[in-house]
Amino acid sequence: MTTILELKEKMIRFYGRYEVYITPIAKFVVAFVIFCMINLNIGYMKSISRTPIALILALLCSILPAGGTIFLVAAVILADMYALSIEVCLVALILFLLIYFVYFRFAPKYGLGVLLTPVCFKLNIPYIMPLGMGLLGEIYSVFALICGTVVYFFLDGVKENAALLGAAAEEGAETNSKIVIALNQLLGNKEMFLVLGIMVAALIIVYIVRRMSIENAWQIAIISGILFETVGMIAGYMMLGISGKTVAVLVGNIISAVIGLVLQFLFFNLDYSRTERLQFEDDEYYYYVKAVPKAYVPGTDKKVKRFGGKDEKERLTKKQFAREMDIDEDLLD
Amino acid sequence: MVNEERLRHMIKMAQFDTNDGKQCKPMIQYARKDYVSMRLLGSFVAGTICYGMMFGLWGLYSMEELLEKLNKLDIQGLLIAALVPYIVFMVFYLGATWVVFHMKYTNGRRKVKRYYSNLKKVNQMYEREDRLKSAENKDWD
Repeated sequence: MTTILELKEKMIRFYGRYEVYITPIAKFVVAFVIFCMINLNIGYMKSISRTPIALILALLCSILPAGGTIFLVAAVILADMYALSIEVCLVALILFLLIYFVYFRFAPKYGLGVLLTPVCFKLNIPYIMPLGMGLLGEIYSVFALICGTVVYFFLDGVKENAALLGAAAEEGAETNSKIVIALNQLLGNKEMFLVLGIMVAALIIVYIVRRMSIENAWQIAIISGILFETVGMIAGYMMLGISGKTVAVLVGNIISAVIGLVLQFLFFNLDYSRTERLQFEDDEYYYYVKAVPKAYVPGTDKKVKRFGGKDEKERLTKKQFAREMDIDEDLLD
Repeated sequence: MVNEERLRHMIKMAQFDTNDGKQCKPMIQYARKDYVSMRLLGSFVAGTICYGMMFGLWGLYSMEELLEKLNKLDIQGLLIAALVPYIVFMVFYLGATWVVFHMKYTNGRRKVKRYYSNLKKVNQMYEREDRLKSAENKDWD
């Protein structure tokens, strides 16, 4: 246990010292993974669905806030949709505008939630999102979760029906039918509504339990959230008559629970306050302040002074002492 | 010479300004009721645009059905069919706005209070300095 706590302490110090580098690198990695996933799954516009472009965009995202990353990701998705069919692009555009009105109005600080939710869906661990956001965020982060989930199901549906949507364009099928196919991924998708309902409820449960004044509130919140998601998903799939998902739900939930416990280890009762650079002035001076949180400093400035060591240079001999005091050495006998 | 004690409060104020200043500014200017009402008004406009887009999407989705029934279209029925979901949607959207911005106001106000307490201390320090600097006090220099 002590080793784990020491490790935690080391990680906090490490983050505090190298935060300037860690945050952009983390942003870059997340953005790069997202762009690669988009290219692999719905990269219909060949000219932008290449790794060098993804690298450049990810580099750009590393210096942008989450809102900027969302904008770039949305632009790439729209370009891909445009390459597939202009009707799908139109539906995607309206969907993004709707998301803008919901997400940017209520939860603009939870951009990472919107970005990570589809990624976690793709990795089959979407169950971690309600846990993570319930544990670390405010209750209104639920809007970010809703936006991420809707985007995932829309894009997944488009991918599934890509052949149909692409073929329709060549065969000169009606514009209307393509819009209907694209919209069907949202309006006619019962699985999406089930997943949305379960995940929103799970996030609210986790949030409420986490804030209760009980012992081990975080663990209880994680367990109750995971149990609710597992039972809810399995029961929901049975109700909708969707079979063959039980194993995936169970495995996904177990992995999510483990990640939830890791999150608890990393963030419970800890303030990852950052080193801040501030500029202000008063009547007499301009101040350029670098405010470093106290928790990060002692480890680096620690000095060990040895007393009574065996090192000859450090030891105070009778002769030295007599010389220092300017007295006869014999007096000390 | 730099007054370290004053600087400490000024740093806290600058931190607030950089991180939350923009978001919390309306909370300084308005009372809770006015702040939430303002957001509700904004949400009413945003919600109506939102519903308009959703209604447009629904129109495209059921275009065929609508075209088939074009001749015997019951305008009154269609209006009611559009209006009832609009009211339900707006109740939900405005309800969410009310809850979210009430919470945001409570959190923001706490930060604003801390900011004002720092401001007050800095002001007191300035006043004290001014008194000491004044002509009666020759010890200052």
